[in-house]
Amino acid sequence: MLKIENLHVNAGGRAVLKGLSLEMKAGEVHAIMGPNGSGKSTLSYVLSGRDGYEVTDGKIEFMGQDLLAMEPEDRAALGLFLAFQYPVEIPGVSTTTFLKTALNSIRKKRGEKDIEPAAFLKLQKQKIQQLGMDPEMMKRGVNVGFSGGEKKRNEVLQMAMLEPKLAIMDETDSGLDIDALKVVSEGVNALRSPERSFLVITHYQRLLDYIKPDIVHVLANGKIQKTGGPELALLLEEKGYADFYDATEAA
Amino acid sequence: MTATAGKESFMAQAPQLAAAMPWLDAASALQKDNAENWIKALRSTGAESFAQTGLPTPAWEGWQYTNLRALNPAKFHYTSEPVKFDATKIPAPLLGTHRIVLVNGQYQPSLSSLPTHVTVMSVMEAAEKKVEGLEEQLVTLGDLAQMPLVALNAAYTRDGFVMQVARGKDVTEPVEVLYYNAGREAAAYPRVLYKLGENSGLAVIERHCGEGEYLANSYAAISLESASRMRFYRFEEESDKAFHFSHVTVQQQKDSSFEGFSLASGGRLAREEFRLQLIDKAISSSIGGTYLMRGQQSHDFTVLADHFEPDGKSVQLFKGVVDDQARAVFQGKIHVRRSAQKTDGYQSHHALLLSATAEASAKPELEIYADDVKCSHGATAGQLNPEALFYLRSRGIPLSDAKSLMVESFLAGAIEKVSHEQVRDIYLARVSAWLAGRGA
Repeated sequence: MLKIENLHVNAGGRAVLKGLSLEMKAGEVHAIMGPNGSGKSTLSYVLSGRDGYEVTDGKIEFMGQDLLAMEPEDRAALGLFLAFQYPVEIPGVSTTTFLKTALNSIRKKRGEKDIEPAAFLKLQKQKIQQLGMDPEMMKRGVNVGFSGGEKKRNEVLQMAMLEPKLAIMDETDSGLDIDALKVVSEGVNALRSPERSFLVITHYQRLLDYIKPDIVHVLANGKIQKTGGPELALLLEEKGYADFYDATEAA
Repeated sequence: MTATAGKESFMAQAPQLAAAMPWLDAASALQKDNAENWIKALRSTGAESFAQTGLPTPAWEGWQYTNLRALNPAKFHYTSEPVKFDATKIPAPLLGTHRIVLVNGQYQPSLSSLPTHVTVMSVMEAAEKKVEGLEEQLVTLGDLAQMPLVALNAAYTRDGFVMQVARGKDVTEPVEVLYYNAGREAAAYPRVLYKLGENSGLAVIERHCGEGEYLANSYAAISLESASRMRFYRFEEESDKAFHFSHVTVQQQKDSSFEGFSLASGGRLAREEFRLQLIDKAISSSIGGTYLMRGQQSHDFTVLADHFEPDGKSVQLFKGVVDDQARAVFQGKIHVRRSAQKTDGYQSHHALLLSATAEASAKPELEIYADDVKCSHGATAGQLNPEALFYLRSRGIPLSDAKSLMVESFLAGAIEKVSHEQVRDIYLARVSAWLAGRGA
């Protein structure tokens, strides 16, 4: 599904990723844990195609295609989805219009017809209920006036509507209280399937109590320092990151 | 107007103003017709004023941002002869069936049809029939020396029309007024009066368009008697080689209401001026607009809400987009006179720049002499938020669609205030069509 080889990325004139390699298969849930500044968010943005990141070496293959050669919208159409750490507010564009436009854009790229308006509304209503969201929010501008928890739920709603093949979750737990964390995690777990993979990027082990990973990677100094099973996350929680890399190397 | 000297002696004093004279050539010829005396007097007043001022330059207050140097007087010609045109080129009505048609400013009764309770006649016919109040309402209010293009229009008082709605009558279906310009370097100077009787209602759609190169310089007076209601919707869709100047003065009596909106997408250089005169108590007046400028186009909205008496409410709400090397100007003023207590005034202008070379200028002004008023204003200019664009793209929406979605949403903030649903939908469709024509 996803194969990252020896990825080197500069951002803001600084080398952030320095030879990251990672391979994910369909249906797997991988967690990437790491200290602040280790390159976690950079990885999520490079995968989704945001401007401002210079890939100096390495390659990324997604669904058998060269991901780095693609525009962000084409990556989305191919099944890549990023749940943002800081979802963007878009005043004036209603959430419903946004969801429908996104869904139909992806369908169009795949050579499918627009979804029937009635079918769209039914689907949207069902997903909103699952996530315990207020239907009134769909009329508001995208993320405008949403609380931190509502923004994260809205990310999961988009994921549920767009049904990606790979969902990257960038610090989805940040800014969430325990109740919101449960709702968001349940939403994610409901989407787990043998065809869908998740890349869960987090600083804390807490989220992984709710979204159980198959594989855990420790990212530090721009590289995967260690890979293991779920027990690795618990070990990190106990011992901290310092044991897994040489902090002086960063300087 | 204090000038009494003839044109020749004036020009001897200030030879540089000879530049004004080619504009007035056809005006002196026009004076040979058999117009009513007051019309001839209006023409002379306009001509004399224009001869003294010439066209405004950027040194003038209110003309810093719109430069008329590209306007060549030798190029455009006025004629009072019936204009020849190809009727098949006249666009179909935007909405409904009733409309009146002007070609190069000349009213075309044969192409026009009217709903009941509305009467229309040409200015010359209205003058001949001595329509009540015509003279005081068609003679420009205010200082012509400050309004050279209005003065120039006055010098050619002949074309245009008078539309009246009888008191107590509510005309529900909008009446379309098509200002069609047949091009060929013609100058059109229609002078128009909309006269709404007490407690009457009217919705007008004014569409300004044409072919090729021309100059359209119109003046419209809107007279709203007490408790009358006017909705005034404009489409400024002139040819991209045309010059458009229009000046609308709205004079409102007690308890009347005015809702105006203009969508400006045409013209090489255009300026639309609106003067809202709230001359009595408890008047509500709003004017809004949207501009869609690209290429080398230039557009200017200049608006004044002038509060004379207490308890008035005025709103100015403008939002526009500028692309390529185009330019847009907004000049808005709320003037609250000493006696206009409890005035509620609002003004806002927001510009969205779609290219690095596009330009938007804004001059918001409040001039308040009463002490118990509520007035607010705001002006911004900005670009599409790149973070929002990336967010949309990351959800599969192509860049050009993402931009269009954001521009439509931005402009909808102004267009949504249009109370006539069908007209609002036409405005929104115009925006979508403009964006579709823009490409990525």
